Amino acid sequence: MTHLLEIQGVCKHYGGVAALSQCDLQVHEGQINGLIGPNGSGKTTLFNVITGYERIQQGAVHYRGSEITNAPPDRVFNLGIGRTFQLTRLFMRLTVLENLLVATQRDEGWLRTVLRRAGSASEKRRAMDLLEFVGIARLAHEPAGNLSYGQRKLLELASLLVADPAVLLLDEPAGGVNPTLIGHLADRIVELNRAGKTIVVVEHNMEFVMSLCSRVTVLSQGTALVSGTPAEVRSNPAVLDAYLGGEDDASTQLELAAEAARPHGQVTPGPGPAPPAAPAPPATPARPATRARPATRTPPTPMAPEPVDGPTPLLRVRGVTAGYGGGDILKDVSLDVPRGSITCVVGPNGAGKSTLLATISGLLRPRVGTIEFDGAPISALAPKQILGRGLAQIPQAHSLFGEMTVRENVEMGAFTVDDDALVAQRLRAVEELYPIVRERAGEKAGSLSGGQQRLVEFARCLMLDPELIMLDEPSMGLDPQTRAMVFDMVQEMNQRGKTILLVEQNARAGLRLSSHGVVLENGSVRLTGSGREVLEHPEIGALYLGGAVTRPPARAAGD
Amino acid sequence: MRDRVAAVVGVAVVVALIVIFPLIVTDPAATSIGVFTLVFMVSASAWNIFSGYSGYLALGHAVFFGSGGYAVALAARDWHVTGGWAVFGLLPFGGLVAGLIAIPVGLVALRTRRHTFVVVTIAIFFIFQLAATNLGFTGGTSGILLPIAPFSAANFNQPFYYVAFGILIATVLVSIGVRRSRFGLQLLAIRDDEDRALGLGVKTRRLKLSAFVISAVPIGMVGGLYFYFVGQIFPQFAFDPLFDLSIALMAFLGGLGTITGPLLGAAVLESLQQYLTQTFSSSATYLIAYGVLFLAVILVLPRGVIPGIAELLERRRARSASGPGPAAERESQVAGVAGAAR
Repeated sequence: MTHLLEIQGVCKHYGGVAALSQCDLQVHEGQINGLIGPNGSGKTTLFNVITGYERIQQGAVHYRGSEITNAPPDRVFNLGIGRTFQLTRLFMRLTVLENLLVATQRDEGWLRTVLRRAGSASEKRRAMDLLEFVGIARLAHEPAGNLSYGQRKLLELASLLVADPAVLLLDEPAGGVNPTLIGHLADRIVELNRAGKTIVVVEHNMEFVMSLCSRVTVLSQGTALVSGTPAEVRSNPAVLDAYLGGEDDASTQLELAAEAARPHGQVTPGPGPAPPAAPAPPATPARPATRARPATRTPPTPMAPEPVDGPTPLLRVRGVTAGYGGGDILKDVSLDVPRGSITCVVGPNGAGKSTLLATISGLLRPRVGTIEFDGAPISALAPKQILGRGLAQIPQAHSLFGEMTVRENVEMGAFTVDDDALVAQRLRAVEELYPIVRERAGEKAGSLSGGQQRLVEFARCLMLDPELIMLDEPSMGLDPQTRAMVFDMVQEMNQRGKTILLVEQNARAGLRLSSHGVVLENGSVRLTGSGREVLEHPEIGALYLGGAVTRPPARAAGD
Repeated sequence: MRDRVAAVVGVAVVVALIVIFPLIVTDPAATSIGVFTLVFMVSASAWNIFSGYSGYLALGHAVFFGSGGYAVALAARDWHVTGGWAVFGLLPFGGLVAGLIAIPVGLVALRTRRHTFVVVTIAIFFIFQLAATNLGFTGGTSGILLPIAPFSAANFNQPFYYVAFGILIATVLVSIGVRRSRFGLQLLAIRDDEDRALGLGVKTRRLKLSAFVISAVPIGMVGGLYFYFVGQIFPQFAFDPLFDLSIALMAFLGGLGTITGPLLGAAVLESLQQYLTQTFSSSATYLIAYGVLFLAVILVLPRGVIPGIAELLERRRARSASGPGPAAERESQVAGVAGAAR
């Protein structure tokens, strides 16, 4: 049986980073197909490849049995494949109605386009019907730029439907939309599906995907990992691995097994489900045991700051609420980063991890709450002043200046330092630590591989000799080997006395590395404890995949 | 409905004023300002069909102005057209040549976007200026003399004035037609988000090129008219970078992407410039006035005069929605004209 849309062996690289590698996907006609996977797993890239926004050198895309690989976007649309964008794209200065009249009616020819009046009576009627269908007909004559975020999502969907495409590719239709509207959107999608449309949904909202889709495909690191019914996908341990970061090679497997067998602190029962039974008695400890603290499942409502034992933490966040525009992304977040620790913040997409870092580094001001660094409040300081206190951030991938040389990039790190001698001395130290800075000094940073770029970013950050380094997803888009190297580097920085606050999509690898773990979900702290305790908490799977997910006990026990 | 009537009345009044202007004002100095102003109104309006609607800032339309001028001059010389109304018959040929030249120019320039596009159009412009200076058939730097029009000295300007006005009407009708067609809507969509338009099946490259060519033709025609009026053509005037800047400035001033904006901008700026040149007999003084005016518009009405005023009126009307008095009457009339501009 041939599928309506079939993607075979698609590969897409950006510089040294592979966004898609040998990716396959079958879209079943007349169904709602879900496409899920952690950040950077290649979902949007796959949409871009299908719709002709990205060209591929390897692989093939077939639609109704004929090849459409690398067909331009207008042709793909005229064949009957329409798509929406993750960040809604509209014609902001046109009215809502005009937005619907732009789309062509399936290849109508040049002369007819030029001579035809925009919006005949029947076209306008149809456009109004579609606006009625999505529920924004009363806004027909408003400029699209005046719509709210959710209304924009609805308009984008409606604008596709004008040309009556057979396949709809929806990139995060529920992203950033309030719950009522999510329900409304889900209803529309179901109705469209009943009317015969084939739908592919990329979505991070698991409830949405699992309830809507008849088939779900999981992408991980640019490859289709699993495909099946929602139930099958949920119960497949490989899927959870993809979200939490899998065991990449034999050595980590062994390490995990050894670790799992190691005794750890008693888990105190929280208001959640019962914690797992303590595993079997000791084997050989794999590494020096981190000081185990009880994992407390933080109750969602009123949350007392976690009592701190011992010396004041280097960074202390108390009751912080922050967000962009109208909404709060962080809600009453409190956490500590003890001096000398590696503290890892994990959580599903959209949990507020990057927002947390932006708030700490001063790019975003908290609406409520305080942030203290080294005992002094910093939440009112400008980003540059915070940097000056010794708190530096390495942002998510691709933060180097690609057109500048490696050396220039590293020197940029110290541009707030006036003392030339000190800069030179630090540069030598950094070159010592990361030989690549000297070896490739004159090359453009953009020509380096993904992993090499990370090293240069580390080097740049160390030019400031900060006390606390915040890392945002250092492993993103890297292959397993490079990722292991990057994590080694993080550990090494820590051993040299740097305190590290790590945000990591690859929760398993991040937590294993860390002395402290924090789970954020939906803007609130859900779990805190030592890295291991958080990692082994039974609820963590549910936090990522929605619903109750348990890892097979045999695996957890390390057999 | 009342807005519509007001708009029609407004347009009729403006047209009537333009028609009777040279009949009332017979001073040749004034009517020649009229001719230059109409030439620039055509140019700014035509430029707006491409740049205003699609958002692609072209700064090389003097290529079409000069090409049209040279086409008419060469045709008159080689086909022995000796003046009078016959030379006006060559203007469509000037437009045709400009349109044909716009095809390869557009194919090259429209491979790029945004800043690169601006730079490419400027570069192409200089290529044409150099070519006009160095190719044999253009007469090099000494240029070409056009036939001398045999009109009486007293009414010499009138034929030029009315032909230019005819071209202006045709250009504005094309501009309105484009704006109302699906083509025009798709150009506006390209202005807002070209990639998204592509993803909705819009054949962006083809449409952009069509608009580019359409905008070149009227400019080629008034180019021919302009140099027939002036009596000679040579490279520095035919391919003048100030022409590129002026028409863009006029469209910006009046309101980019509107129908009446470029017309208003050209009417104000060109007549002002000509007046200042005549009064102070210094060609550089008007540049200072230009600069001041441009800064003022950018600071006060960054979207251009027409959309800016329409917005102000909209706000005032919203405030005084309850009591329609004589003031509201006047407002709706002006807003009606502005509404017709969209």
